[in-house]
Amino acid sequence: MSSWLQYVKSMQTHMDYDGQARAEKLSRVVITLFAIVGLIWGYVIQQFSQTMYILGAGFAMAALITVPPWPMYRHKPLEWQKPQSGVTTKLKKKK
Amino acid sequence: MHTVFTRANAILAYTLSVSACLTFCCFLSTVFIDYRANATLNTVKVVVKNVADYTEYQTENNDFNQVVLWDKIVLRGDKTVFNFKNMNTKYYFWDDGNGLRNILLLGNKNVTLTLSWNIIPNAGLLPSVNAFGSHTFAFPSEYTSLRV
Repeated sequence: MSSWLQYVKSMQTHMDYDGQARAEKLSRVVITLFAIVGLIWGYVIQQFSQTMYILGAGFAMAALITVPPWPMYRHKPLEWQKPQSGVTTKLKKKK
Repeated sequence: MHTVFTRANAILAYTLSVSACLTFCCFLSTVFIDYRANATLNTVKVVVKNVADYTEYQTENNDFNQVVLWDKIVLRGDKTVFNFKNMNTKYYFWDDGNGLRNILLLGNKNVTLTLSWNIIPNAGLLPSVNAFGSHTFAFPSEYTSLRV
């Protein structure tokens, strides 16, 4: 039980900055694509409700893809400086 | 976009904006349509959507009088071909004054039946369309208790 709890606690739930940007862009792309397809399909069969349903599917899809912090949004972690020992405040060069 | 809630909020807001945009497109698609159609009254077949039947006639007080005699709501998928014969009016000849059977106790000589309909879209204009064609007749000068 405790090992399971340890595992849950050790799960990473953050996105790095690049992942956040990609998540936002991806959600926009998914919703917009579904909207365009839905508009065309709705116009073809003359049913605006179908357009709305397809847009709803796009929302669900985008929510599934970008709302949970999937591991693919953690590929570019921030490069932190190493902790410096001693009082000397000589800055190392950033990578 | 750093927590689940901000992402969910952003997606929902964007979806709503997009749906407003789509609704506007739906509105645009209704603007430039010409809905007018031929309908001949007192003949065999009239194909209509949402129908109201008007009677128009002139009186001294009002230049333009209209009475709705009959209407029908037709939803998508309903039968749109109507073939009525010898039907009664659904509504009465309510008259704002004595125009239909006027003061000289003569029937109005210029009563016109027309057919018009509204089309009600999900989003868009609410056009009131008049059919081409009409039927003009004179009102009888005396009341009858039986079908003429």
